Amino acid sequence: MAKVQPAIISSGFSEHASKRSDVNMAELVNEAVENCIQMANIDWKDIDFVINGNMPAFEGANMPELWMGDHIAAKNKPMLRVTTGGTTGGSVTIAGYYAVASGLYETVLAIGFEQQSCGDTAIGLASVALGEVTIYPDVGYDFARMRSNLGAGAAIGVASYQAMNYMARSKATEEDLARVVVQNRRNAAKTWWTHLKMPTITIEDVLDTPYISYPLRFGMVCPATDGACAILYTTEEKARQIADIPVYVNGVASVANEPAILAPNMGGAGQVDPCEQLGAMKSAELAYGQAGISFPNKEIDYVEVYSPFPNQELMWVERLGLFEENMAPEAYRNGITAWNGELPVNCSGGVNSTNAIGASAMERPAEAALQIMGKASNQVPKTVHTAMGHGWGGAINFITHVVMSDEPQRKWR
Amino acid sequence: MEKVGIVGYYQVKPDLDAMMSPPEMIFNAVRGALDSAGLKRKDISTVIGCTNDYYDGKTISNAFKVDAGGAYMKDESKVEFDGAHAALYGVFRILSGNHKLAMIYGYSMPSCFNYEAVRILELDPTFDRTVSLLNSYSAGGMQMRAYMKKFNVSLEDIAKVAVNSIKNAAKNPSALPEAQRSDISVGDVLESEILCSPLRKLMYPILCDGTAAIILAPEKQSLKITDNPVWITGVGNCQDTYYLGERDLSISTSMEIAANKAYKIAGINDPKKEIDIAEIFGHTTCEDLILAEAAGLCEKGNGTSLLDGGPALNPSGGTMSGLTPCVCGLTRIIEAVKQLRGEATGYQISGAKKAVATGQVGFCAQNNILYVLEGGGN
Amino acid sequence: MDKFYDGLENKKFIASKCSKCGKVFLPPRKTCGDCFAKAAEEFVELPETGTVKNFTVANYRVSERRERKLKEPIIIGLVQVDGADTAMISEVLNIKPDDMKEGMKVKVVWADRIKGHPKDIKGFEPIGGE
Repeated sequence: MAKVQPAIISSGFSEHASKRSDVNMAELVNEAVENCIQMANIDWKDIDFVINGNMPAFEGANMPELWMGDHIAAKNKPMLRVTTGGTTGGSVTIAGYYAVASGLYETVLAIGFEQQSCGDTAIGLASVALGEVTIYPDVGYDFARMRSNLGAGAAIGVASYQAMNYMARSKATEEDLARVVVQNRRNAAKTWWTHLKMPTITIEDVLDTPYISYPLRFGMVCPATDGACAILYTTEEKARQIADIPVYVNGVASVANEPAILAPNMGGAGQVDPCEQLGAMKSAELAYGQAGISFPNKEIDYVEVYSPFPNQELMWVERLGLFEENMAPEAYRNGITAWNGELPVNCSGGVNSTNAIGASAMERPAEAALQIMGKASNQVPKTVHTAMGHGWGGAINFITHVVMSDEPQRKWR
Repeated sequence: MEKVGIVGYYQVKPDLDAMMSPPEMIFNAVRGALDSAGLKRKDISTVIGCTNDYYDGKTISNAFKVDAGGAYMKDESKVEFDGAHAALYGVFRILSGNHKLAMIYGYSMPSCFNYEAVRILELDPTFDRTVSLLNSYSAGGMQMRAYMKKFNVSLEDIAKVAVNSIKNAAKNPSALPEAQRSDISVGDVLESEILCSPLRKLMYPILCDGTAAIILAPEKQSLKITDNPVWITGVGNCQDTYYLGERDLSISTSMEIAANKAYKIAGINDPKKEIDIAEIFGHTTCEDLILAEAAGLCEKGNGTSLLDGGPALNPSGGTMSGLTPCVCGLTRIIEAVKQLRGEATGYQISGAKKAVATGQVGFCAQNNILYVLEGGGN
Repeated sequence: MDKFYDGLENKKFIASKCSKCGKVFLPPRKTCGDCFAKAAEEFVELPETGTVKNFTVANYRVSERRERKLKEPIIIGLVQVDGADTAMISEVLNIKPDDMKEGMKVKVVWADRIKGHPKDIKGFEPIGGE
């Protein structure tokens, strides 16, 4: 519990698509900002701090909010840039929380975006580790051999390792993975701003696509999307005056692990099983503790997890304490995580359907907040009191965890 | 605002070309800061790094710096502006009550990339970047011309300030050795190469590799950790419009707004009289003056008067002691801390009780941040 | 910006206007920073002349790849086209550095090959008599 209780009062989005060539970066983000401010029903002049984040590698622009300031309601206002790779959106969300919780700023706009079509996603992601592995040739490791070994590189490479480990532990099948994809893509079809809308997709459709890197098939992986998202924070006091249902952010955490498989300067890493995710479990503990949640599987009503690859969705809901270890596939088979289930997951379609990387980790808490407000496009039938938005990124070592509720957390400190 | 204490710091000595890898440099800074405060890694609650993906040449530049930054299994994040902005995020986290100790570090290695060229990537891609005429030199030149014309300041006056900064750097053991010239004269500055008129080379900082780290804690914990904490009593941040053609380059609106907010929080009514030390991050000597004036440390257009009285301008040499992107603002904070703690050996200003330290990003100091710091004096 | 680039192809300056305060932007912009309102719905053609608001004589040229010292200095200026409320960065041509004066009147010099690209503006040159 923070000294000043932050509350989210609106979430805004731009249209997401594979190529938003009708807009430049500033215009894309402006769409989301306008959508957010409109929904919040405030005057843009009331915003007293702006935080922005995206993954700089994809647009070829360094610190784009310097140029975009006027377009995102930030002229002559304080501005901060927070970027942490895949978790950027979540990190910006958390930074927004802290800006209000510090008591220094009252109304804070948090923005996450990505215009993937400006750059090459695979190359942008490959350069995460490139700096560390370029030492290999210096010490006698053959360059051609290094290149072929890194073939299973970038995001999908590590995700495959993660999928293999998870499937070995949980005995999940490819069908289980496909089921997650089907649920997400059908959900996306009911949410206005998403990218891959597939209302009639089936498990067979997914399994009928070629492998990219076993066990991940083409039909299972997320797209690369252009899009932006914005969240507006304010204090509890102000939120009570202007919002129908303020969404109180009660717990935030982003515990970092060491990079997986490969460490700095080609060293060895202790994190050899990327599906173990100690950092994620510790983050969840920290965030739940702050939010006063002791039994997440009973107390959380709705969750959005960051799973560009379906094996991750099964893994995350376990690591975040919502299902017992290795029990997620069964929960999905039994419809517990469906839109009308006991614990709906990713009713926005999740990252599997829309992935504008800088925005994705913000869209999770943004949609979860909308579910609490009762304003989501794909609003679930049960009343959502407490929800959670999660993100992961980095060299599978970053995580963001945002726990929110319609009740502020009053906890003795 | 409750006071936030700076309880430890460490500067890795700047180098034109450090023969170290990023994790090594960062480790030195973070380890050094912990040792200086007598703390252990387990005491750290949160780590905020400041690196820039483009400067580092790595996407997600903090992914492989977790271990070196002391952030393993700690609540960690990264700011991609200046070290001083990372410190702001640290201040947020401490003031929220959720964290009891924040480690802030900044890092970059200009020896591995061409800083001026990479800065082109900050420009508006729809026009400015394609035309490729705007850069640190040309922006600095135009800013200087605007300032000199508006306030009738001569090139020689600005050269005197440059001389003052460079001589101060010569007394500062934490400055870049190549930037230290105790025998520099006004003539040397005036005759140095013209980069973009009227900006002279000796009015422009030397880029160097470096890292620095500071440790922040709430008031109660600060008093337990050290006898000599320095308090952050106020902070303000503001960003001007990007478009240079719409700004009055002879002043800094963003610094004025930032400084006023910081002073209001800190209860400073007359900075000219109340502030003893001003560590200003200006990208050129002229910008040092513009920002000092915008921060209310002297009358507008009269920045050169700071050489004769009022707050001491950049006793560390300011950016003329070496400029490391992502670190510079943090270095300004550290230099102010050293003065307030009486640890600025060789260039100590006696009786220093209150200081301001600034950081910035963007062309012509588009985004400024200002801290008000208070110590026990010496 | 499409209208702006198309305008350049036809050797015209197409600017946009803020729907609230009427501020004229060249190059056009979708949003007016002062009003946070739409500024790209109304367009206006501006003349080929303008004023130099600020300038510097540059001995260095910096591109995305490197910086290099120029053999001959070039003059970089912030030029406010008549009718616009913003200035754009451009080269000032056909004048000696010593003759440069702030506030001088200039006229655009188009590039030899026009592509609908910002580089179609080769620069601005003084209008006779300055």
